[in-house]
Amino acid sequence: MSGVGFVAKTAALTRKDLRVEARSRDTLPPMLAFAFTVALVLAFTLPDATRASAKVVAGFLWITVLFAGLIGFARTFEVEREEGALDALLLVPLDRSGIFFSKAAANLVFLALVEVFLVPVFGLFFSLDLSSWLMLALVVVLVDIGFVAVGTLFASLASQTRSRELILPILALPVLVPAFIAGVELSADLFAGAGLDDIAARGWFGILLFFDAVFLVVGALGFEFAID
Amino acid sequence: MSATATTEASPAIPPSRSDRPTLTWLAVAAWGGVTVALLLIFFVAREADVAMGGQLQRIFYVHVPSAWLSYLGFAIVFVCSIAYLKTGARRWDLLAHGAAEIGVLFATLVLITGPIWARPVWGTWWQWDARLTSTLVLWLTYVGYLLLRGLATDRTRAGRLAAVVGIVGFIDVPIVHFSVQWWRTLHPMGPTIADPTRSSGLGGPELITFFTALVAFTLLFAWLLAVRVRLGRTADDLDALELRAFRS
Repeated sequence: MSGVGFVAKTAALTRKDLRVEARSRDTLPPMLAFAFTVALVLAFTLPDATRASAKVVAGFLWITVLFAGLIGFARTFEVEREEGALDALLLVPLDRSGIFFSKAAANLVFLALVEVFLVPVFGLFFSLDLSSWLMLALVVVLVDIGFVAVGTLFASLASQTRSRELILPILALPVLVPAFIAGVELSADLFAGAGLDDIAARGWFGILLFFDAVFLVVGALGFEFAID
Repeated sequence: MSATATTEASPAIPPSRSDRPTLTWLAVAAWGGVTVALLLIFFVAREADVAMGGQLQRIFYVHVPSAWLSYLGFAIVFVCSIAYLKTGARRWDLLAHGAAEIGVLFATLVLITGPIWARPVWGTWWQWDARLTSTLVLWLTYVGYLLLRGLATDRTRAGRLAAVVGIVGFIDVPIVHFSVQWWRTLHPMGPTIADPTRSSGLGGPELITFFTALVAFTLLFAWLLAVRVRLGRTADDLDALELRAFRS
């Protein structure tokens, strides 16, 4: 087994999670349905005057992503627990950080799929300008990396408590504040048609990159203690 | 903490509490200090400019020390959480838990005294300004920390899970601070240790009042923490006794 590297083992675990999801469809469909429902409710409730504001719509878009994501992340370790597979997972001859990265990567895939669906829905419902979609994709990915790092770590903590899913948003939301402020600011600029130079000059990318780097490291290190 | 080493490995019979006189002196110093600070706040510090709230500015002498002490509390949580994960020694967990509770207490005081001052001076209870927002986020983080402790299924696990949150939450503080600072800022820049006269025209009597209040509240913090840690130890001893009674 020593011939198989860290990355290959981690990727194998991620593939395992994606395959389990492809067969059971326990996590992604509820996330998608939830995201769509929230978008629909917002379309009914937001008055016309507020729809014109790129920042309002960007804020609601990220709130929807946030809660849809947390619903999915809460399942990260429940799936293993329900099938009694958690012990087996921890016996994989791989550093705990590898298990963390594999779970975070699977969550990143789920989250990205939700966003690929949700952003056009928002564009449709709120007549958003999605012409700079490539930049928007970059922003979304940068927010997502920090989001899944924090979400996966805290999901492992939450799964060991009595209330399970209830505690996850309470723990994760305050920590995620910087990533979501940056996400809202950047995507609001993009929806409002701001130029690349203006956006880059505001420095939000720096905060996002820093947040991602810090929480990938902290998540991998903390996970070792978070799970047993 | 010198008394703790003797109690570490004695589950059966609660040892006599040799730290009691120290605690009493700490209590006397803390409450004496708070009394002196209150006298200074109301009778020595002069009334501030109308722009800073006039008489109402006196709340500053409670507000700012509370803010510093909540940061101190969360810093203690951070250090003790790391120590707990490294050593597994119960005393670090007790300290972290106590510091988190007291940190939340002082942060709550900050969040109550701030709006009381802000309402007449800024004309609003609350502003989404950088310092207010980051203090609120910090408060929420440690409320989550305490909730997590309460919801964990057993005590060792509670300590381990909470330690992870205590570390992650504290690392997040500067990032939250900078991100909301870029977002917006209105809060008056308060005095710092390096530059104590910055802002609000604090003169001699005001500075004496401020530093007395700071020392008094710090003593109060230390006393509360010592009492909280002793309470935790007593609860541990009680558990050990119950376990022994149950076995025999």
